[in-house]
Amino acid sequence: MLTEAVETGCDFKALVRQHQATVFSIALHFLRDRASAEEVAQEVFFSLHRNLARIETPAHAAAWLRKVAVQRAIDEGRRRSRRPQVALEDVAEPAAGVRPGDPLLSELLRKLVATLPEAPRMVMVLRYQEDLEPAEIAAALEMPVATVKSHLQRSLALLRGKLARRGIGESGWTG
Amino acid sequence: MDWLEDELRRALAREDAPDGLAERVMARRALAPSGAPRWLAAAAMVVVAVGAGGAWRQHQGNQAKQEVMLALRLASAPVQHIQSEIRGITQ
Amino acid sequence: MKSLLILTCLAALPAMAAPQQFQLNLDSVAAKASEHVDVSLNASTLQFAAKFLDANDPDEAKVKKLLVGIEGIYVRHFNFKTAGAWSQADLEPVRAQLRGPEWSKIVGTGSEDGEKAEVWLRTSGNKSIGVAIIATEPKEITVVNIAGNIDLENLAELGGHFGVPKVKPDKPHKEE
Repeated sequence: MLTEAVETGCDFKALVRQHQATVFSIALHFLRDRASAEEVAQEVFFSLHRNLARIETPAHAAAWLRKVAVQRAIDEGRRRSRRPQVALEDVAEPAAGVRPGDPLLSELLRKLVATLPEAPRMVMVLRYQEDLEPAEIAAALEMPVATVKSHLQRSLALLRGKLARRGIGESGWTG
Repeated sequence: MDWLEDELRRALAREDAPDGLAERVMARRALAPSGAPRWLAAAAMVVVAVGAGGAWRQHQGNQAKQEVMLALRLASAPVQHIQSEIRGITQ
Repeated sequence: MKSLLILTCLAALPAMAAPQQFQLNLDSVAAKASEHVDVSLNASTLQFAAKFLDANDPDEAKVKKLLVGIEGIYVRHFNFKTAGAWSQADLEPVRAQLRGPEWSKIVGTGSEDGEKAEVWLRTSGNKSIGVAIIATEPKEITVVNIAGNIDLENLAELGGHFGVPKVKPDKPHKEE
């Protein structure tokens, strides 16, 4: 198996180092739990090791890892039998005078994304973490492109509404 | 450029994997069998120290070797068990 | 035989400080066990023992190679007369230490006959510097700390070179 991997240029250790941030981050942003995200990341790479002979090119490896990371993160989320519920009252609100790039705003957005249902949540992660186009997201999630676009539009609208109620938005940054 | 999408890109930017993740993956990989079958079992090679001529150092050395073998036998058994479990899962 | 081995271990080992990576404080387990084996081998003892491993013997050569980079091996092994004599709570003093930030559990398995095994890795930065193994059966417990850089693949393979029978894989059951 190692010989085959070397022949295709897919060195396992190099693949781990190259893609560990991507895999870990997909799980982290979806599950909002670092320990679970690491567990998922380990399982994904363990799975890669078992399937290394099927990987044809480095680009194939990247797409394969992303897809498996998505599946495993979703599986882990279901296994935990909970949708990340954020008591928004507990979230540190951006202070008056929030500006683009405010770390508190980033944290608020991460937690709001975590409250989305499973499918739109993963669509948002793949769109804004990985910068994938809807067609690529559709392939990773095995869902129609139209569904991906619908999830994106509705999720953005939902987030805009929640932020607007806190006085955060394009029409006037708070403060 | 949409401000919310910019903020989402910032909020959901990739984070570095935890320190040592690659090493933990490699270590876990070491427990997984390759395509070739492996012979697994507990090792028991306890060498009885019988020093020719009763040399004390030889006796001590053999005793130490015996302890090393015992320790490694006890340590290898659970690792072999894990390998066999994993091999059972992947078959 | 095991009792004799305990005495042998104690007699042969010079008194030296043992840099274990966690406390193997299992006195409560020892009190319940019918037999127990304690092995503590620090770097000096390992280096000493390695000199007596025969490089021309393929098996001992493998052991000699395995010992390179290992700074200590600490084993506590217990046998019990009956199943149910010990509980998982007895191992909490060890597990609590392995929940520290420097340790990560890399695999855990279980089988229907009650055999469980866990392997933990200790890292410093990006370097692995130790391994902890906890293996339990209804009438047996083994806790191991190997300090240093250990090749787990070679450790598992070690047994296969001492004329042991092939072990068939158990039915799939992976501990979460």
